[in-house]
Amino acid sequence: MRSLLRQSLLLLGLACLPAAGQALYFHDKVSWQSRIAEADMIEVDLARSWGVEAIWIDARPAVDFDRDHVPGAILLNEDRWNELLPQFLQEQWSPEKKIVVYCSSESCNLAGDVARRLRDEAKLPNQIRVLKGGWEGWLKTRK
Amino acid sequence: MKFVWRTLGLLVGAVFVFAGLTKIVDFQPFRFLDPMELARDIDNYKILPWTLSVWLALYLPWLEILCGLALIFRRLYSGAIALVLGLMIVFIGASLAAKARGIDITCGCFGHVSDQLSFAWHMVLDFAILGALVGLWFCGRRPQSEPAETPL
Amino acid sequence: MHLPTKVLLGAAFLCVSTVAQAELTWEKIELEQSPPPGAESAVFAFQYQNKGDKPIHISNVRTSCGCTTAALKKNDVAPGEKGEIVATLKIGDHSGLQQKTVTVDTDDTAHPQTILTLKATVTQFLELQPALVYWQANEDPKPKTIVAKAGKGVTMKSLEVTSSAPEFTTKVEPGSTAGEFKINVTPRDTAHQLNANLSIKPDSAAGAGTKVFTATARVMPLVMPPPTPAPTTAPKA
Repeated sequence: MRSLLRQSLLLLGLACLPAAGQALYFHDKVSWQSRIAEADMIEVDLARSWGVEAIWIDARPAVDFDRDHVPGAILLNEDRWNELLPQFLQEQWSPEKKIVVYCSSESCNLAGDVARRLRDEAKLPNQIRVLKGGWEGWLKTRK
Repeated sequence: MKFVWRTLGLLVGAVFVFAGLTKIVDFQPFRFLDPMELARDIDNYKILPWTLSVWLALYLPWLEILCGLALIFRRLYSGAIALVLGLMIVFIGASLAAKARGIDITCGCFGHVSDQLSFAWHMVLDFAILGALVGLWFCGRRPQSEPAETPL
Repeated sequence: MHLPTKVLLGAAFLCVSTVAQAELTWEKIELEQSPPPGAESAVFAFQYQNKGDKPIHISNVRTSCGCTTAALKKNDVAPGEKGEIVATLKIGDHSGLQQKTVTVDTDDTAHPQTILTLKATVTQFLELQPALVYWQANEDPKPKTIVAKAGKGVTMKSLEVTSSAPEFTTKVEPGSTAGEFKINVTPRDTAHQLNANLSIKPDSAAGAGTKVFTATARVMPLVMPPPTPAPTTAPKA
């Protein structure tokens, strides 16, 4: 029994080493607090500084977008993904631009989901970032 | 009979090494997989908090690989069987619970390689492995004609 | 009234008011389902019963997003009465796990607010990977491939693909697994900017009805480098 316990503990302990190595290797992707990796997020000020190099995407429902949105932002939400995505790809998308996706706030998942779909389904080559703080964060810095 | 258990041990060990590897690397093309993908799969069960899902995503595949290797090379053998038995019970329990809740979620058992398997086939495979492990535990650990494996 | 009588009456009132309680109990406060691929909505019915002695008034039912609506037949629940709140989640084009909440406010002092959770694991009818194929200006106009994969539980035998621009030709081939197809897209040339919507229609037996899926093909415009300023020559002395 003691031998069994010792062996199990040894295996459990040994597995920590490569796991730690993997965590270090992916340190910029691993996010302990939220489903979106830190490296995939961007602060409002930095996103603003990109100017015309960036395409802003609003992942919120249309009613929120119509009420107010980041100037020049494009509505692309999952409610009408199959309709809005081709429109965006035809009319506004360009491979050289950076893409900033936002939804209502830090806790909102919609922007992360849209960013993931742009990256994994549409396989866009662009640098895609989720705005930290979302629309609320933008409002705080709006001049 | 000893040959049968040895072979079974090798096979089960290989399965676990494969299971762990498919969660860490993609073979076509070869690349290291982002552990956040596995963390999201685990998080989709909505049983554990996100941080724990990340810990498991980083740790579990390596535990599977090490236990698989231990089974193949018959080192730390008993400990490996005990650990993978525990893992299989948890995997099967979580899959059955998810199914009972009406969720059809990839179990993540063999990474995204097993996406094509239906739930029924997943369960057949999982129970087969569980049965093999139970057999190894009772019959394959210490063959009577050989001295006990060197404890480590 | 004598003080002891007042005290007795007060105590009796307290006892009666604590015994006559309202208690709205829920069969389940979390419901999950996996709607069939292509479903437009998922309906969840949360059953409740007033197990107390007093009637309960449901004052408000609100959802966490506009994608979910909640319907309640009546606001007042008599003791012993059962009822349900029906929540409808509009799936739209979402995919993956959708989790929304419905908050129910009542005058039940024990549980004035209950949060009901609905979860739906959504599988899209057809997945296109990638949804966009493009060529840079003057890039070799080799075919590029879009993989169309049927969602879990969908049987798809064929696909019809039409391009909105004749400059793009498409060819459909079976993929490596059942329900998978490869759509090879080729531009006529890449010397000019071209845009096209590729309409992808599964066969009628697949059950998609008249639904059409769209991928995009583009030849990007030539990006002219900014003009270099002409060198200025100093005037001769």
